[in-house]
Amino acid sequence: MTSTYIRNATWAPTGEKFDIRLAPGHSQVVPEFGGITISDAEVSPAGQMNIPERARIIDAAGKLILPALFDMHAKVEIEGRSKRESVTRTGQAAVQGGVWGMLVQPTAGFMFDNSAALDSFREAVGQRSAAEMIPAGCISQGMKGDQQAPYNTLAARGISILSDAGERPGNLLMMHRAMKYVAELGMTMAIRGDVPSITANTCMHPGTTSYKLGLHGTPACAEEIGLEIIVRLAQDAGCKLHVQTVSTAEGVEIIRRAKAAGCKVTAEVALHHLLFTHENVGDYDTNYKTLPPLRDKTDTEALLAGVKDGTIDCIVSDHTPCTPFAKKQDFPSAPQGMCLLDYFLPTIYTYLVKPGKLSWGELVQACCVNPCTIAYPDVIDAEEPEGMPLLLFDPQAASVVTEETLPCGTLNTPLLGHTLCGGVTLPLQ
Amino acid sequence: MSTPKDLLTIESLSDTDIRSILKGAAEMKQVFCSGKTHPALAGKSVLTLFYEPSTRTRSSFELAARRLQADVTTFTVATSSVVKGECVHDTIDTLMSMHMDYIIVRHKNSGIPAVIGRHAKASVINAGDGAHAHPSQAFLDAFTLQEKYGELTGKRVVIIGDILHSRVARSTSTILKRLGAAVAYMGPGPLVPQEKHTGIPRFTNWDAVFEWKPDVIYLLRVQNERMDTPFFPSADYHNAFGVTEERLKRIDDLDLSIMHPGPVNRGVELCDNAMEYRNSLICNQVENGVAARMSILSYLTPRTQNND
Repeated sequence: MTSTYIRNATWAPTGEKFDIRLAPGHSQVVPEFGGITISDAEVSPAGQMNIPERARIIDAAGKLILPALFDMHAKVEIEGRSKRESVTRTGQAAVQGGVWGMLVQPTAGFMFDNSAALDSFREAVGQRSAAEMIPAGCISQGMKGDQQAPYNTLAARGISILSDAGERPGNLLMMHRAMKYVAELGMTMAIRGDVPSITANTCMHPGTTSYKLGLHGTPACAEEIGLEIIVRLAQDAGCKLHVQTVSTAEGVEIIRRAKAAGCKVTAEVALHHLLFTHENVGDYDTNYKTLPPLRDKTDTEALLAGVKDGTIDCIVSDHTPCTPFAKKQDFPSAPQGMCLLDYFLPTIYTYLVKPGKLSWGELVQACCVNPCTIAYPDVIDAEEPEGMPLLLFDPQAASVVTEETLPCGTLNTPLLGHTLCGGVTLPLQ
Repeated sequence: MSTPKDLLTIESLSDTDIRSILKGAAEMKQVFCSGKTHPALAGKSVLTLFYEPSTRTRSSFELAARRLQADVTTFTVATSSVVKGECVHDTIDTLMSMHMDYIIVRHKNSGIPAVIGRHAKASVINAGDGAHAHPSQAFLDAFTLQEKYGELTGKRVVIIGDILHSRVARSTSTILKRLGAAVAYMGPGPLVPQEKHTGIPRFTNWDAVFEWKPDVIYLLRVQNERMDTPFFPSADYHNAFGVTEERLKRIDDLDLSIMHPGPVNRGVELCDNAMEYRNSLICNQVENGVAARMSILSYLTPRTQNND
């Protein structure tokens, strides 16, 4: 095998121009605190590398090079499909969207509360997936919220993050004890803020649209109170906490205060909470039914500000495939969930980076460096860690989203018919 | 230009649609009161599909359809068969195979009639969906008020009670505002949405209501069946929010009208004497319901004819 040369590459986070020689079979980037270094590769300023004439050359003029993305929150199971097909299609969707790896949330079919489930999942991923898929272990057995999952067993199988996939933390005593237990194992609890007794039987953000449609509102305060509770419990237990899918402005404030107070807390926002509001529900468009619900414009702005100042560590897809039939039901009956994974990077580029709302540096921090730091806690200290692959991004390219261009094959996305800017080349070999 | 296929909400109608249906209601009332029938729906089939209990709306629609010479089929949905995950589409496919021209649907979930309307060639009439809309009620209310007052521009209507769960409040306030009337809401705090969400003035006591100088007091039924966890201390309701004997006297002195979509909880929304109040329009509402629904049925254009 020979080396691959990338000529005139623009390093997206800084705008510097480089020639890059990738070692055969490798194109890895190592995340570090405060910066990014490329390993298994040689880098020199553009035009200064001695490139052999017969070498494999990618001309990257006008294109950007950046680390491929890591998605901290995705569901892989697709109802009505086999587990293998679910893994294959989700892997294809991820790579098309510029995502090389993801933290997979447990679901009914992928119940990561025992080693057998983890083994069979990893086997399917090894054979079938174009993207790396790391399972998040269950917090409670069967995600039922009443008994702890076998944390030592999960830790021994390489699990470092525990999640009940956004299920409401029902029994707080169980949760508090679980936090104290896993604190000793160095594991991270990934939980969403919620007070179930307040949000039961609700389906969207309370406001003008919910009033017009006659739908029960999910008050923002329920998420915020729940968030305060889990932050305090984790602080008391000395446990690492990763807050899932923050959706409100006050939620961002709570995390900002917790971080300032020295809590071991990180947080994520779903891409759709940065792009859409409750008004997008319009006339019962179930593609905009999400958990937590799409909020107000003020929340969207506060969430983006939180990403930019580092309060919110990660932008995630919260990829939740739903069958067309399920989403065709009436709004209260339809399941929550949206799919933006197939076009993750082009969507972020089109709606946030291109209009100047988010810089490439902030994007790389929130979609590459921070997620990897949280998902691979060992990587930071290891001497020769594995890193992220590079991807090539063509900002001039554009594509129209159609049913045929969605590898995941689920159509619960508001992107259908939209033209998105940016083309992704991944992997780079 | 053909008239709309469905009647799902008041918002979906043009001003012309609203005026035409109200005008039609006056004509249909003459037909109805003279005991005659009108051939507008001769040879057509009408189905009533009620997933929620209803007495007056359902019988009102069925009577209206028969007075227009339609065949009427009643599809009874036992509560027990409405199981989780039930496929509304399959039910509708079944009904379409029966070549229905009009489907009148009521469901506890907001938005179901719209789902059916998208799927069906028949005209779909929303007879009440969750807390969303009840457009035929809005038409009979507006028609009743027009009979009483003529033009509604400048008239003031306060709707009192459980606004949060009320499709009547949403649809009736919308049509009245479209016709130039002013609308306010009053009720227990947790049951009246914020003005910034509704665009409608919000009161929580009778003093504020009288100060607002309404012409019409529109009382809503307290919908206990929609309240899983109590919204207010129920022992207080009549004294705090109902038409008590004392308030009835004041209403009488001011010559205000009283309306209610029914069925009335006596002793809760209204004291006994209020039922016989001289300016009560409650029975007019029921009578006008048939006329308004005859007008709605004859106004819509199902797409089933094209297949004949």
